[in-house]
Amino acid sequence: MDLNETSEESAFRAEARAWLEANVPTSPLPSFDTEEGFALHRIWEKKLYEGRWSAVSWPVEYGGRDADYIKWLIFEEEYYRAGAPGRVNQNGIFLLGPTIMEVGTEEQKEKFLPSMASSEIVWGQAWSEPNAGSDLAGIRSKATRDGDDWILNGQKIWASRAVWADWCFGIFRTDPTAERHRGLTFILCPLDLPGITVRPIAQLDGDTGFAEIFFDDVRVPVSYTLGEENKGWNVAMATAGFERGVSLRSPARFSEAVNRLIHLWRTYADPTDTALSDAVTDVWMQAEGYRLHTYQTVTGMLEGRPIGAEASLNKIFWSEMDVRIHEIALQILGPEAERMEGPFERWVDGFLFSLSGPIYAGTNEIQRNIIADRVLQLPKGM
Amino acid sequence: MKFSFTEDQRMFAAGLKDLLANECTPAHVREAWENHTGHLPELWSRLTEMGVLSMLVPESAGGMGGTLVDAVLLFQELGRAGVPGPVLEHMAVAAPALANTSWGPALVDGSQIATLWVDNSPYVAHAQVADLVLRNDAVITGFSLTDVHGIDGGRQLFTISGGTESTASAQIFGLAASDVMALASAAYLIGASERMIEVAAEYARQREQFGKPIGSFQAVKHLMSDALLKVEFAKAPTYRAAWSASTGAATAVRDISMAKALASEAAYRASRSTMQVHGGIGYTWEADLQLWMKKSWALMRAYGDATFHRRRVGASVLSK
Repeated sequence: MDLNETSEESAFRAEARAWLEANVPTSPLPSFDTEEGFALHRIWEKKLYEGRWSAVSWPVEYGGRDADYIKWLIFEEEYYRAGAPGRVNQNGIFLLGPTIMEVGTEEQKEKFLPSMASSEIVWGQAWSEPNAGSDLAGIRSKATRDGDDWILNGQKIWASRAVWADWCFGIFRTDPTAERHRGLTFILCPLDLPGITVRPIAQLDGDTGFAEIFFDDVRVPVSYTLGEENKGWNVAMATAGFERGVSLRSPARFSEAVNRLIHLWRTYADPTDTALSDAVTDVWMQAEGYRLHTYQTVTGMLEGRPIGAEASLNKIFWSEMDVRIHEIALQILGPEAERMEGPFERWVDGFLFSLSGPIYAGTNEIQRNIIADRVLQLPKGM
Repeated sequence: MKFSFTEDQRMFAAGLKDLLANECTPAHVREAWENHTGHLPELWSRLTEMGVLSMLVPESAGGMGGTLVDAVLLFQELGRAGVPGPVLEHMAVAAPALANTSWGPALVDGSQIATLWVDNSPYVAHAQVADLVLRNDAVITGFSLTDVHGIDGGRQLFTISGGTESTASAQIFGLAASDVMALASAAYLIGASERMIEVAAEYARQREQFGKPIGSFQAVKHLMSDALLKVEFAKAPTYRAAWSASTGAATAVRDISMAKALASEAAYRASRSTMQVHGGIGYTWEADLQLWMKKSWALMRAYGDATFHRRRVGASVLSK
């Protein structure tokens, strides 16, 4: 055990910090869930790519730096410390990219990875359907083979970033006779094809961060299949595991939020209110605990102990912590917390956003079932 | 940055786990409760032979020369077995602190037993079986004692009076005895929590109601998952505290407090949830669950409770 950084890690941190200090926009960009904000975030991603900071953990040949997980965490810490913009292409860079590297063909890697790293193509995800939310295996959208093409039909929902994204990825039923988890295929699809209708859905904050996607005889080449035909569930689970595991919400995000919370507490709170100072201390410990837990997890991954169902513990932990951080901030703000716009809107908006955490990427109730079944080996229910 | 234990550290802990699986079964722990000493001399000898009790004693004084990082997984295994008696107090503080004094050799070879009297409690655990009590800069021998009836039969509590005091230093790794004990207790509580969860999961697989194992019900699954969550997220902070303490980091005291606060609350949650999963049998003397529950309820209060330690963390991170 050595919790000090190596000199190489410190040098990497210094390089990231210097680049970010020189390049991060001085005033915050509008939300990437608005048309203007989306376009500005795409420009920011291109700048990151040109500095080779958009996908640090990727191989050099695809625009990355071959950074190991520890360095990835260091980069994330510097990124949040610098107050840099949200990652508009995180569906691509953090979820789909690693999956393509794992199961994609050489042609797919050449075609999709560099354009993803530069955000020339921004990806939306299309998992859920009106009748397949927590029960994702209930997917009904289908892909029917016609020569060298798939014909896609059906409806996806809660497709994040899909309103302004260029492509989407999702799973479609390709063998209607197969048992629920089988007979699904992972397919990549441009969003500007004939037969596609994207209908934005306004989120709780009013922005259109996600959409419905309707597929009406949409034709895509079978070369857009990721992984084996009818094995889409396994491909999707590899992505979902990674999403819940480490990549979706890096610890730096919460450490940074807690630092802002402590600043808020110092500026506005009554220091003699011990219930409040205990609560602030508590979320500081949670964020710090999550950071330490993540460093321990990624050291294990580097030493050949891959993350399994324990990833579900992470997802519950960070999502509940995020809600708690924002609840405490609103408590400190008192009457100001009733305003949707104003000097503290980041906290109010952040509170609304935090409420999505326990729901998306598999609700926390589903995660608790996964932990009970796979980690604690309790008998299957339902 | 490398947040993991070495192969040697893991192997030694696995060896201790194996030894305790045979030598410290629930029946043994009950024996310690029922003989009214809270102590198992046979087990004490095994732990001495294996080098567990002298893990933190320098090699020059006949010990294993380990660090708190070497010891932290051992504390956790001791907790998993619910080991009774003054093992933590002797191993984590008294033996290493007194190793180079005239008491040293007998403490290192286990022929004498030491326990601690820390400032934040009027009580001395295990005083009945201890040859000496270390209190701050004093070693007390020949004292008389009064049983104050601790909740945990494996951690009997006393007040002591009289005796002879001699000067010695209870500092270890530059930390106060109570802080080293807070770290050791945090790791012990994690092990105890893991065991309670294992025992309750096994019960939930066996026990049937409505024609199904109760573990198949979501209400039970979610209780258990939430208990596990708190334990899992107390581990890395506890291991980090061990590293901070053994490297003399400026944040060592804060890090220990964070570990003790989280582990105390995790253990309490584990005790509540696992007892609930047991239903009526969980409220009986017969169920072994009480061996780890009562240990948890004792150690979560000892050496500073969660509130004390949370406020110490708060004083460190909120000031400025």
